[in-house]
Amino acid sequence: MVWQLATVRAVRQETPRVKTITLELPGWSPHRPGQHYDIRLTAPDGYQAQRSYSIASEPERVGEIDLTVEWIENGEVSSYLHDVVALDDRLEVRGPIGGYFVWTAEMGGPLLLVGGGSGVVPLMAMLRHRAAVGSSVPARLLYSSRTPEDVIYAAELERLSRQPGGVEVFHTLTRSQPPGWKGYARRIDRAMLAEVLQPLGMQAQAFICGPTLLVENVADHLVQLGLPPSNIRTERFGPTGGPS
Amino acid sequence: MEADLMESLTLDGNAVAGFLEEIFGAEMTASPSQCASCGYAGYLGTLLVYLHAPGVVLRCPQCKGIVLRIVKTPRAVYLDARGVECIRITLRG
Repeated sequence: MVWQLATVRAVRQETPRVKTITLELPGWSPHRPGQHYDIRLTAPDGYQAQRSYSIASEPERVGEIDLTVEWIENGEVSSYLHDVVALDDRLEVRGPIGGYFVWTAEMGGPLLLVGGGSGVVPLMAMLRHRAAVGSSVPARLLYSSRTPEDVIYAAELERLSRQPGGVEVFHTLTRSQPPGWKGYARRIDRAMLAEVLQPLGMQAQAFICGPTLLVENVADHLVQLGLPPSNIRTERFGPTGGPS
Repeated sequence: MEADLMESLTLDGNAVAGFLEEIFGAEMTASPSQCASCGYAGYLGTLLVYLHAPGVVLRCPQCKGIVLRIVKTPRAVYLDARGVECIRITLRG
């Protein structure tokens, strides 16, 4: 696992505070959805800062990866990625990294994905991969965001859900909802999880990603609802917007 | 408020996966681990990691006891594994 120089090929604003950066990797190798890359920045005086970012794209996209990054106030690396990075810039990266919080279609399902905020990023890699290989594993995503403007990948999730056999997407908006909103409008709780989990059954494989409190609460609820603990995998995201 | 802040800064073994792979020469988050204090059995990826501790400290999510402590200096790596029953390092096939 070595450091390599990636080239920025595209930058896309997803929401007011979230951007996706497409990186072309000379040493690209297929990743498993859920894995991440480390980015290392070196200042002229030699000072280094390093953070991990979950891969948002599917391994079927050869030669490049998408990293979706939330802007964090006072975040050393996220502010650089948001405010400074431009097309054709080079970034030092290493990866793909991780082996616990991963899902590939051959692992089967059914699949319960629960994400809070930027925790949806690794789950999106799983869903994009699922669609790319035409997997028919039943899948449901429960995605918690504060406001409609904060929902990352909103249009794409809508499109994926409309495909035959597509993932079923359940949003909960905890702070404000648009007029006529028919989805959930509160923090994830046991009743909500019971409703979303029910059709998938107790064979479901659950992946939970987001802020540490959300992850702990959701994992507890799922165990109380009867899901075997060995069916539950978790990844805690921090205020840096990524796993580290 | 202080407690909430600490809580929100808590990450897990996934956050230091690259570092662990550097030290052990293998992917470690999917390695089973057992806490020597309370017996909690779970993957290394589920251990708690705190953002601002010196070195890397991995704690048991059940009893919060220290499971692994790793300090890397320019010339050496110091590993304190008293908190874990056994570490499994997967050899590359």
